[in-house]
Amino acid sequence: MKRNFYFTDLPKITVRRVLNSILFLFLLFIGTSLSAQTIHGNVKDADTGEALIGASVIDVETGNGTITDLDGNFSIKVKSPSTSLKISFVGYDDFVLALNGQNNVVVQLLSGTKLNEVVVTALGISREKKAIGYAMTELKSDDINDAKETNIVNQLAGRVAGVNITKSSAGPGSGSRVIIRGNNSLSGNNQPLYVVDGVPVDNSGFGSANGSGTANYKRTDYGTGISDINPDDIESVSVLKGPNAAALYGSRAANGVILITTKKGTGGKGLGVTYSTYYTMETPMLLPKYQNKYGMGSLGQIDDDLETYKTHSGSWGPKMDGSERLYWTGEKKKYTAAPNNIKNFFRTGSNFINTLAFDGGNSFGTFRFSYTNTKANSILENSGLQRHNFNLRAGANLTDKLSLDAKVTYFIQNGKNRPDQGTEGIMAYVYGIPRNIPIADLKDYQNDDYSSRSYNSLGSNPYWILYSDRNDDRRNRIQGFTKLTYKFSDHFSIMGRIGLDNIDQNIERVSAYGHWFYPTGGINFSDHKTAESNMDFLAMYNTKFTSDLDFDFNFGGNMMRRTFSSQGINASSFRIPTKATVTSTKPDKRYPFYNPQGEKRINSLYFSSQFGYKNFAYLDITGRNDWSSTLPESNRSYFYPSVSLSFLLSELLNVNALNYSKLRFSYAKVGSDTGPYKLTNSFFLDGEGYLGRTTLSTSSTRLNPNLKPEQTKSFEIGYETKMFDNRFYLDLTYYSIKTNDLITTVPVPPASGYSRELTNVGEMTNKGIEAVVGFVPVKTSDLTWDISFNFAKNDNRLIKLIEGVDNFVFTTTNSGNLVVQATVDGTEIDGKKVEGHFGDIYGTELMRNDAGQLVVDATGHPQRTGKKVYLGNYQPDWTGGMFNVINYKNLAFKFLIDARIGGQLYSGTDAGLDASGVSERTLAGREEGIVVDGVVNTGTEEEPVWEKNTVNIPIQEYFGSISGAASEYIYDQTNIRLREVSLTYKMPSSLFSKTGIKGVSIGLVGRNLMFFKNALENFDPESTYSTSNFAQGVLFYNLPSTKSLGVNLRVKF
Amino acid sequence: MKNNILKYLLVFLVFAGTITSCTKDFNEINKNPNAILPDEASARYFLTKAEYRLYASGRYTYWRANLIHADRYAGYFCFGNSGSWWNDELGYKFHGGYTGATWGLYGGYFGVINTFLKLTQQGGDFENPLMEAVGKILEALYYQQYTDVFGEVPYSEAGDPDIKLPKFDTQKDIYQGIINELNEAMATIGDATATGTGVDDLGSNDVIFGGDLQKWKKFANSAKLRIALRAYGAPGADFAETAINECLSSGQFMEDFGAILEKDNAISQWNSSSYADIWHRFGGKGSKWKVSQTMINYLRDYNDPRLEKYADPIPGGDISLKRPLAKDNEEAYNKFPKRLDFIKSLFDEAKVEYTVENVGDTIFNISIPENTYYVGQPTRLGSGIKSMAKWEFFSSPDLYVIGLDPDDNNIAPEIIMTAAETYFLRAEAAVRGFGAGNAQELFTKGIEAAMALYNVDGSDYIANADLAQLNGSDEENLEKIAIQRWIASYTDGFEGWADVRKSGYPKALSQGVSDPDIYGLGDIDGDYPTRMQYAGSAYNLNGAHVDEAVARQGADKQNTPLWWQK
Repeated sequence: MKRNFYFTDLPKITVRRVLNSILFLFLLFIGTSLSAQTIHGNVKDADTGEALIGASVIDVETGNGTITDLDGNFSIKVKSPSTSLKISFVGYDDFVLALNGQNNVVVQLLSGTKLNEVVVTALGISREKKAIGYAMTELKSDDINDAKETNIVNQLAGRVAGVNITKSSAGPGSGSRVIIRGNNSLSGNNQPLYVVDGVPVDNSGFGSANGSGTANYKRTDYGTGISDINPDDIESVSVLKGPNAAALYGSRAANGVILITTKKGTGGKGLGVTYSTYYTMETPMLLPKYQNKYGMGSLGQIDDDLETYKTHSGSWGPKMDGSERLYWTGEKKKYTAAPNNIKNFFRTGSNFINTLAFDGGNSFGTFRFSYTNTKANSILENSGLQRHNFNLRAGANLTDKLSLDAKVTYFIQNGKNRPDQGTEGIMAYVYGIPRNIPIADLKDYQNDDYSSRSYNSLGSNPYWILYSDRNDDRRNRIQGFTKLTYKFSDHFSIMGRIGLDNIDQNIERVSAYGHWFYPTGGINFSDHKTAESNMDFLAMYNTKFTSDLDFDFNFGGNMMRRTFSSQGINASSFRIPTKATVTSTKPDKRYPFYNPQGEKRINSLYFSSQFGYKNFAYLDITGRNDWSSTLPESNRSYFYPSVSLSFLLSELLNVNALNYSKLRFSYAKVGSDTGPYKLTNSFFLDGEGYLGRTTLSTSSTRLNPNLKPEQTKSFEIGYETKMFDNRFYLDLTYYSIKTNDLITTVPVPPASGYSRELTNVGEMTNKGIEAVVGFVPVKTSDLTWDISFNFAKNDNRLIKLIEGVDNFVFTTTNSGNLVVQATVDGTEIDGKKVEGHFGDIYGTELMRNDAGQLVVDATGHPQRTGKKVYLGNYQPDWTGGMFNVINYKNLAFKFLIDARIGGQLYSGTDAGLDASGVSERTLAGREEGIVVDGVVNTGTEEEPVWEKNTVNIPIQEYFGSISGAASEYIYDQTNIRLREVSLTYKMPSSLFSKTGIKGVSIGLVGRNLMFFKNALENFDPESTYSTSNFAQGVLFYNLPSTKSLGVNLRVKF
Repeated sequence: MKNNILKYLLVFLVFAGTITSCTKDFNEINKNPNAILPDEASARYFLTKAEYRLYASGRYTYWRANLIHADRYAGYFCFGNSGSWWNDELGYKFHGGYTGATWGLYGGYFGVINTFLKLTQQGGDFENPLMEAVGKILEALYYQQYTDVFGEVPYSEAGDPDIKLPKFDTQKDIYQGIINELNEAMATIGDATATGTGVDDLGSNDVIFGGDLQKWKKFANSAKLRIALRAYGAPGADFAETAINECLSSGQFMEDFGAILEKDNAISQWNSSSYADIWHRFGGKGSKWKVSQTMINYLRDYNDPRLEKYADPIPGGDISLKRPLAKDNEEAYNKFPKRLDFIKSLFDEAKVEYTVENVGDTIFNISIPENTYYVGQPTRLGSGIKSMAKWEFFSSPDLYVIGLDPDDNNIAPEIIMTAAETYFLRAEAAVRGFGAGNAQELFTKGIEAAMALYNVDGSDYIANADLAQLNGSDEENLEKIAIQRWIASYTDGFEGWADVRKSGYPKALSQGVSDPDIYGLGDIDGDYPTRMQYAGSAYNLNGAHVDEAVARQGADKQNTPLWWQK
C-alpha cells in the first residue's frame, strides 16, 4: 500500500488543466465520429407512445451498440444498410428490425409479459427489481430536473415514502435535513450516506448548522456536501431505505443510502449538445399577520424623552391616529401605520441555472462534459450565491475485455452574506419592528461615530447586518474516480476503482466597528480542508448450477481514508473603524488557530451472493467486515450480515390480471463507528492564557477507551403487486429497526468531574409502515394519467439511555422554559409512565389549580409553572404525497401535493411577536385591558381559597406573562401543500428539421406554491433554522420559506 | 483462461489480505496531533484556570450568575432603571435559564479544580503533595461558595470515577469536610515555601500568590475562620468552635496581603468576563446597572472616602415625569402620586437640592444639579415604577469598577478574600469571646486594609465615623463589623450575599420588601432570598439525589433557609 495513491498527494488539478483536457477530448471525439452511414431512430412504448429512455440498440452485424436518449432518440453508425438492429429494453419484448436501406426508423416496443425493471443497488450492481428483497425507490432524471432546486435532495420531498425532508430556511445553498425511516442516533446527525457513481461523497458541513450544541442565538447554514451535486448531471437517484438495502455500504449507511448515478455519454450518435436554462423567482411564502392600529410605545403611551422613548421598542403605544408625534429620529412625524414594513424588507429572490452539455461516443468510447452556472439571489438584499459545476465523464473500451470509466467534477461556490438565524439572527431584528416604522427609514443604518443607528436603545438595525457586517464563504471541490473493469468472460469480471473527493472551504465573518454587541468590531476567518479517498475492488461471478438455479457471487474490498485540517484567526478591535480586515485589528487581539491534519480510515471486505430459483425465489446473503481506526484495537473489527428472501407469487399463480406479485423478507445488521480521537482524554494548550500565562486544559467530555461499534438491526417485510396491465400498482412495507450501543455524548452530573461522557448507551427503535399505491385511470395513445400516492408512518422510541438519566436534551430556550429532548420510554413523571420518543417537547405551562382553573396572582397576572410538562413531539404522525403525471401528446403536466400530518412545534418567534405587541393577536383589549378569566388564592399555600379574579391588567402585561409560558406557543405542524407543479411542452422535432436542432422543450415550473392547510398561522412549520438534531421542533426567527415560479427551457443540437 | 482467473483471483486475495493486515498503524492514526502528553507538561499549567474560572468566569456565567444574581442579592447593584432591559425583580423570580447558569458555573468549575487535584494527587501524572495542598485550599473555597448558594450539593462522592451519580451531602457535612481539607493542606505545607523548582514550581502560573506557599497557608487559615464563623451557631456545628480556636491560636492570617485576582480584560470575554465587558459591549443602557441605595447611604452618610471610588454622582439635569392618562392605564394613573412621593423621598434622604415643577396635571419637571449628588437606587424596584426610575436619578458604578472601555485592564481586581475581611473575622471572633484579640484594634485594622484596597486615606473616617467604632452592645458591634465587612466585599456578590444572610445586616436588605406598588416581590413574596433553586439540569441528570436533598433541607425555593441560618 503506497501512500501516493492518495489524492492529497497528487499534483494539484487546476481549472486550466481541466479545461485543456476537456478540449483535447473534444477534438478527439469529433475526429473519430466522421462516418458515412448513420441511422436515426426513435423508440416508443407501443401502448402509450411514451419515449423509452435508455433502450439498447445493437447493430446485429458488428455488435456495435448505443442506447436511446431522454426523448427515445438514437443514432447509430452501421457498415451495411441491410443490417438489422436489435432493440431491447427492460420490461419489454426484444424487437429485431431489418433496416432494408432505411436510415430513419421508429420502433414501438410492446411491454413484456414479465416486468424486468432493472435498478442500481448497493455497490453499483444493477439488479432486476423483482429479485430484490427490500424496499427501494428510484427517481429518474426528468423527475428531478423539471422543477429543480439548488439542493437536489429537496426534490425527494413528498416523493418517497418514508423519507422526511426538512429544508433550511436560510435560502440559497443551505442544507436540508433528510431522515429516512426515523432517527436512529442521538448525537449523530442521522443523515443518510450519499454515494455518487459508486463512490461515497462527503456530506459534512461547516458552521453551526451541522453541529451540535443547544444554543439558539445565532446559526448560519453553510450547506452540506450534497448540495454541491449538480441536478443536471443526474441520471437517476435511488433511495435505499434503511439498513437492509444498505448493509453492504457499512458504517455510514445505518441511516440509509441515497445512490446517485450521473449521466454518461452515449455512443454511436456523434456529438450531441444540450443547453438548458432555468429561471425562477422566489418570494416569501408566508409572513406573520400583523396589527396595524398601535405603534411604538409602552402601556398605551409614548415617552417624550427620546432616550426613554427608545427603550420602549414594542408596539404597545397609543392608537395610530395620524397626529404629529415624536419619532425615533428625534423629529416630529405623523403617527401612522406602515402595514407593509416587514414585506418590504424582502426583495424578489431569483435562481438562474444554465447548463451546457456535450456528449458523444463511438465504438471506442463515450464522453460527456457539462458546465452549469448557478446564480441565486436570496430574498434578502446583498445576499446570494454563485456556483460553477464542471463535470467530465469518459468511458473507453481499451480492449474488448478491459474497459475504463472515469469522471472528474470541479465545483466552485461563493456564498455571500448567508443569513444568521436564531434569537440574535437577522429576523430577530426585523419581525418585531414597531408597526409605525417604515422599513426604509432604517436604511440609513450608521451614525457619524460609526455606531449603528436605530429606533431602539440597543442600537440594532437589520440593514447594518445586510450591508455592514460581512459573511463570505468560498468552497472549492474536486471529485472524481477512475474505474477499470476487466471482463474475463460473461461470467466473471473484476473491477478496480479509485475515488477521490477534496473540499476546501473558507469562511470569513465580520462584525463591523460599531456593532451593538461588538462596539469595536471583530473578524473571524477559517479555512477547512477535507479529503476522502476510496480505493475499492469488486470481483463478480455468476453461473447457473442447473437450468433452474442461478448463482451470483460478488466479493470486494474498500479502503477509505479521510483527512481534515483547519486553520484560521479570530481577531477584534479595528484600529481603522472603516477597515474590517485582520491587519486593522489590534495586534494583541489576534488569535490564530491551526489544527493539523487529522485522519480516519476504514478498511472493509465484503461479499454478496444470490441464489435464484426458476425466476420464482431469490435468496440474498451479504456480509461485510470493517476495521475502523477510530475504535479501540479490541473492538476495531466488526462483522455484519444481511439476508433477504423474495418470492414472485405471480410466477406461481399465473393469473392474467396479475402482472406482478412479490413477497419479500429481509434482515440486516449494520455496525457503525465514530469520529477520530474519541478514545482517551489528553491535554490541550489553550489558545489564550489568563494574564498571558501558559495554560493547559482537558476536555470536559470523558472519553472512553472501550468504545464498541454501534449496532443497528433491522427487519422488513414487503409486498409488491402490479395488476390490470400494470394500471394498478402497490408496494407495502413494514419495518422494524433497533439501534443498540449508540455512540453518544451524554451529559452527566458535573460532580463526576466531567460535563459529558462519550459512551455506548441505550437503545432506540423505529417501527413503521410505508405504502405506495398507483393508478393509471386513463391510458390512450394521446393521453395518459398516472396518479401515485405514498404514505409513511414511523413510531420512534428511546428504550433506554444510561443509568439515572431519562432524557437527552437537544434544544433549550434562553429562558429555559422549553426543552426538546429524547425521553426514555416508560419514564415516570408524576407517577405516570410516559411514552418516550426522539423529539419530545417539554415546557412550562400556565398555572392551574386542581379544578383546572387558571391561577392568577394578587395583581391579576397569569402565573407559570416552574415544572415542565409534555407538550408534544415534533415528528409527524404520518407523511404522504400524491404525485400526478398527465401526458397529452407533447404536453406533460405534473403536480405533487405533499402532506405532513401531526407533530408539534414551539414557536419562539410567535412568543416574541406577541410580547412586542406587533402580532394581530395582540389587538384585543388594547384600550380596556383584560380581566384574566382565572382565580386567585386568598388562602394559604397549604389551604388555598380560590376567588374569582377581578383585577384588570393592561393587555401588554397579559402578553408579557403568557409569552413566557411554553405551552401557549405550541402549534400543530400539520400542513398540506402544493409542493411542485410543472407543465412541459416538447416541440415537435419537425419544426426544426433544417436547423440542426434536435429537440426543444419548454416548461413552466413552480415549487412550494401554496398551502391547502397549515395549522400554523404565521410561519411555515417545515422550515428550520438549522438542519442539525439540535435545532428541530422549534422556530426562532427563521427567514420565511419561499415559493418559486419560473420557466425551464431545454434545447438539443 | 482458467489460469488467468486464478492469477487475478490471487492478486485480489493479496489485496484483501493487505486490507486486513493494514490496520497496524491505526493506533498511530488515531492519535490527535494537538494533544500534549504528560511528559511534555506540568501541573502548574492547570492551576491558572483553577484560580480564575471561579472568580472571573466567561461572560455567560459572569453576567448571569455574578451580576444578575449574586451582586444584586448582595445589595450592591440594581437593574430596573428606566433604560434597563429588566425591572429589578429579575432574579427574585425563578428563571430557569439564568439560575441554571449559576448551577452551571459551579458544575463547570468542578471539572477544572478536579483535574488539578487528580493530576497532583498520589499516583497522578504530576504527583506533588504541595501542589495538591494548594488545590485543596481552592477546592474548599469553591465548596463554601457552592453550598452557600444552593445548600446541599454533591461533595463526598464528587469526582469519584466509579460513581456516576454522586449523592448530595448536607451542608453541615460539607462544612466539616472542607475545614478538614484546609487542616490537611496547612499541615502538608508546613514550612515549605514553594512546590518545587523549575516546572514543579507553581511560580507565575499561580496568579494569586506567585507560588508562595506560606501565603497560601495564611490564606487557608483565614478562609477556615470565615467558614467556621459561618457555621458557628448552626445545629450540630460543634466543630466550628474548635476550628475558630485553632485558627486564632495558630495566628497565621493574611494581614499585609489579600487573595486578590488581577483582571485580564484583554482575553476573550467568553473565557473571562468582567464588569467592563458587560457594561461597554452593549449599546444603550439595557445591560447597565446602578449602585444600590443601601451601599450609597452607608458611604455617603458616614463620609466614607470610598464613596467616589465605588460610585459616581448622579447625572441629574432636567427630567420630566409624565403621569399617564387614566384612560390609557388606570393603575399607573392612580399610583403615580405615591410613586412620585417615593422618588422624592430618595432625593430628600440624600439631601439633594432639587425642584419639581408641575405643568398641568400630567407633566412633572424635575430639576437636579448635574453630577453633584450621590443617590443609590433602592433594590428590587418593581415593573410599575420602572419608567419613573430615571437613569439620571441614581449613581452608576465608578470607572474603577466598570473600566473606561471593555479592554481596560486598569480596573478593580476580583476579590477572593481580603486582608480586611480577615481582620473583621477576627474582630467578630473577639466580640463573640474567642481568643485574646482586641476587637476594636482588629476592627480598625480591617477598615484600614479595606481603605488601602481602594487607595484612599481612611484616617478621618476611622477617627470620626460612628460606624468605625465598636462602642455599643455586642449585637450592635457585630452589626458594625458585618456592615464594614459587607462594604469591603463590594463587587464580591457571593460573599456579600452570604454575609447578609448570616448576620442579618444590613437590615435594609435582609428584611425584604413588601409594597407591590414600589417593589417587585418575586416568587418569594418579598422575602430576602436565602438560596437559589436547583437548575433543571440537576433534576434531569441526577434527579433522585436532588429529591433526597430537597426532602432533607426543605422545598426547592429561593426562600428556604440554609443550615447555617437556622
